[in-house]
Amino acid sequence: MSEREQPETTRPAVTPPRSAPDTPASAPEAAPRAGLRRELPAEVPPAAPQDASDRTGASEAPRQTSAPQAHTPHASQQPQTPQKPQESGTPAAGEPGEPVLTGRRRLVNGLWPPRVTRAQLIVALLLFGLGFGLAVQVASTSDTDSALRGARQEDLVRILDELDDRTERLEDEKQGLEKQREELENSSDQAEEARRQTIEKERQLGVLAGTVAAQGPGIEMTIEDTKGTVESDMLLDAIQELRAAGAEAIQVNGVRVVAGTYLSDADGGVSVDGNKIKSPYRFKVIGKPQDLEPALNIPGGVVQTLEKEQATVTVERSDKIVVDALRAPKRPDYARSSSQ
Amino acid sequence: MIAVLGLIVGVVAGLLVRPEVPAVVEPYLPIAVVAALDAVFGGLRAMLDGIFDDKVFVVSFLSNVVVAALIVFLGDKLGVGAQLSTGVVVVLGIRIFSNAAAIRRHVFRA
Repeated sequence: MSEREQPETTRPAVTPPRSAPDTPASAPEAAPRAGLRRELPAEVPPAAPQDASDRTGASEAPRQTSAPQAHTPHASQQPQTPQKPQESGTPAAGEPGEPVLTGRRRLVNGLWPPRVTRAQLIVALLLFGLGFGLAVQVASTSDTDSALRGARQEDLVRILDELDDRTERLEDEKQGLEKQREELENSSDQAEEARRQTIEKERQLGVLAGTVAAQGPGIEMTIEDTKGTVESDMLLDAIQELRAAGAEAIQVNGVRVVAGTYLSDADGGVSVDGNKIKSPYRFKVIGKPQDLEPALNIPGGVVQTLEKEQATVTVERSDKIVVDALRAPKRPDYARSSSQ
Repeated sequence: MIAVLGLIVGVVAGLLVRPEVPAVVEPYLPIAVVAALDAVFGGLRAMLDGIFDDKVFVVSFLSNVVVAALIVFLGDKLGVGAQLSTGVVVVLGIRIFSNAAAIRRHVFRA
C-alpha cells in the first residue's frame, strides 16, 4: 500500500525538478539546487552517513543522489522520468508552475487540507507517543525530587554522604538543644518554686503588716467606757498583753494594729494611727484563745486595771475571727533592705 | 495535519495523565524522546524534500528510539552510561540541527 502511495504523493514533487536538469533549457536552474542538496551533508559531515538510514527519504535518498550521476548519462531513463509526472503528477500540481513546488508549498499542502490517510494516521500515532513521552519526561523532570533522578552514581554517593554529615550535625544540635531545654525546665521549676515560696511569704508578712485580711480562731474583747476614763496607755497595755500572749492579727474598731501603730489620747476617745475611735472599743484578735483570754484575765492584768477605772470589759472566745481592716503598704523612705 | 494533531494530543495527554514513569524505563525515556525528535525532524525534512515515506518514517522512528535506549542500556552495563548518553544526545543534537537547517532553507529559502 505504502509502496503505491509513495509514488503518488512524493514522486511528483521530486521528480520534476530532477527531470528539469535533463532538459538543457532549465539546466542553470537545476545546478544551484543540486548544489544546495550536496551542501547539506558537507555542512554537517557526521550526519551525512546516517542521513541515508534515518531520513525518511532513505529509500529515495540514494536515488536522488545518484540521479544526476546515473540517470543523466542513460538516455533510457529520460523517457521514464517524464512518464511519472503524467501518471500521478497531474492530480497534485501538474501545471507549468510545478517545478516551483517548493518545500514551503509542500508543507502547506501537507497541513491543509487534512487528509486521513494511513500514513498520516501512523505518523500521528508515533507523534502522539513522542508528545506523550516528552510531556511525561518534562513533568517528571520538573518534579521536586527530580534533582536526584538524573544524577550519576558518584553524585548520589556524594549527596548521600553530605546528607549523613548533615544528619549527624543536626543530631548533635538537637541533643544540645534538648539539654538546654532540660536545664531551662529545671531552672524554671526552681523559679516556680521560689515564686511560690515568695507568695507564701508575702501572705505571711502581709498578715503581720496588715496588708491582707486574716481569719482564724481568737477572741473578741469589748471595752465599754461609759465614764470616759479609758486612756490610750490602757489600750496600749492591752495590745502589748495580747501580743505577748501570741496574738497574730489585731484590729480595733476597724483599724488594723501593726508594728508601727501608735496610740494617743484624743477628745472623748483615743486616736489609733490618727484614726479617732470611741467607746466601745472592740478588739478582734487572732491567736490561740486559750492563751489570749487568760493573759487578759490574770490578776492585776488588763481586765482588772480597766475595771478599776469603771470600764466594762467582756472577752469572748471564737473559732472564727475575721480581721479585715487593711493598711496600705507603705514604702519606707529611709530604711532599705540590707540583704542582697 | 493529523500528525500535528497527534503530537498536540500526545503532549496534552501526557500533561493531564502524568503517569508515574516505571523505574525500568526511566533512564531511557529522555534519550528515547530525543531520538524520536531526531526522527521527526528527519521526517519533516524529507517531507519538505518531497521524499517522505511513512514506512521509512515508522522504521526510522522506532529504530532510533530502540537504538538510543540500547546504547544507554549498554553504557549503564559498562559503567559509562552517563558519558554515553551525553554522546548520544550530542550526536542526535547535531543531526537535529542539520535537519532543522535544511527545513529552514525550505521554509524560508534562506
